[in-house]
Amino acid sequence: MKIIVKAMVSLAVFAAASTPVAAQEAAAPREEPKAAPASPVTLSGEVKAVRTMVDADGTETTELVEPGVIVPGDRLIFGTNYANNGAEAVTDFVVTNPLPDAVRLAPDADPALVVSVDAGKTWGTLGELTATGDDGATRPATHGDVTHVRWTLERIAPGETGRLEYPAIIR
Amino acid sequence: MDTKLALHPIRAGSLSAPIALAVFLSSPALAEGVDAGTLIENTAQATYEDASGSRTISSNTVTVRVDELLDVTLSPLDTSALEVGPGDAVLTFELTNKGNGPESFELVANPAVAGNDFDVTIDALAVDSNGNGTYDPGVDEILAAPETTRELAAGEALTIFVLSTVPDGIADGSETDVELTANAATGTGAAGTVFAGEGDGGGDAIVGTTGASALALGQLQAGIASVDLTKAVSLADPFGGSSAVPGSIASFTITADVSGSGSVEDLVVSDAIPDGTTYAAGTLALDGAKLSDPSDADAGSASDADGVRVDLGDVAAGTSHAITFDVIVN
Repeated sequence: MKIIVKAMVSLAVFAAASTPVAAQEAAAPREEPKAAPASPVTLSGEVKAVRTMVDADGTETTELVEPGVIVPGDRLIFGTNYANNGAEAVTDFVVTNPLPDAVRLAPDADPALVVSVDAGKTWGTLGELTATGDDGATRPATHGDVTHVRWTLERIAPGETGRLEYPAIIR
Repeated sequence: MDTKLALHPIRAGSLSAPIALAVFLSSPALAEGVDAGTLIENTAQATYEDASGSRTISSNTVTVRVDELLDVTLSPLDTSALEVGPGDAVLTFELTNKGNGPESFELVANPAVAGNDFDVTIDALAVDSNGNGTYDPGVDEILAAPETTRELAAGEALTIFVLSTVPDGIADGSETDVELTANAATGTGAAGTVFAGEGDGGGDAIVGTTGASALALGQLQAGIASVDLTKAVSLADPFGGSSAVPGSIASFTITADVSGSGSVEDLVVSDAIPDGTTYAAGTLALDGAKLSDPSDADAGSASDADGVRVDLGDVAAGTSHAITFDVIVN
């Protein structure tokens, strides 16, 4: 299998000064880089494809696999692992993830997930948000409208790790 | 007496342009999917507070490339069986690239389908170069063997013409199917078959639910009209009887029945004046309406030397015409 070739993981990371442009739409205010020590908290992104298997009884099971061959309609899980490697707790930990243009939020995403449908200007659960339809009228926002997802953790203790993820369908 | 019948090759009645009505038989509508080769890049960013203040960090960027989905549909555009007679027949199909990348398709037309009453000969496959839905000789491109379309963009549809010849000697109402197959040039196979590295945009190609192959049947039905001529005579002698004596009048009725389907073109019925008789001037009539004897603007002419001749023109199947004239026994 050629799976490994497909998941190209670039290793550019972590200090605020070298933030890749793709992440800069986040709503949170940005600080000028300081001569601060390396961040005690690290973020590590990954992507998995969801494969549905049907066994001889017709029972469907799904499993997460490295994205091999992926095409429109396929389901991907984008995950972000965080770890506080420092000796101190951090607070007001807010992770913002712009959705790639080529995917939409999967219909079965957690309804409590905080999302934005306007490039990060306003936030709420999907049920609280509206969008403007092609006819100019306001309508309830749909999964396809989501531009960003966001998670907020009040506190991460030293040594604590966790994982945040959202499911997406390739448009 | 010999009654002659001259008619041009029998033609089907319905040669109107095919109606462009797309019939979508297969459901997956992935043509609007993101293009093959698209890179999906995901990066998360976090802000938090620690002892040194507010900080911002980013994750690594994960990237996956969208591969090329190979899917195709093919639909006949002739809404019902095309009514044909011997000669040229054109079947029309619509080919749609349902994949997410540019792809060309190989076409194969098979005229020998099980159950056919007769088989046509495939002359060529053509594409609707000017996009008007009708085959235009000399304008629409004939595909050279192996018949392969140009690259169709994702979601693009192309009208395909199958040019065929219907054989002589087929029975009215007999039917035949022509099977057209379109195969993705990259390859076909069971759904999920992967062609490593052959996808557009640098990825792989993978066969979708259609198997990257589509098959459609075009139906032809013979619309053959045939002509039956029957000739009847009644005699009237000068004495009120019906014997053939000099001076008797013989009234002939030639009935032309056109049966089957379609129509006949340029139907001309002619008959010689029997030996020993003389044409009774001014008696030629078609369906009860008099026709003048000279060869002129009306449909008929009659004389002793040349006999009677009536040009019925194009006659639809299911109609009947009666030609009447009198002769006098010498």
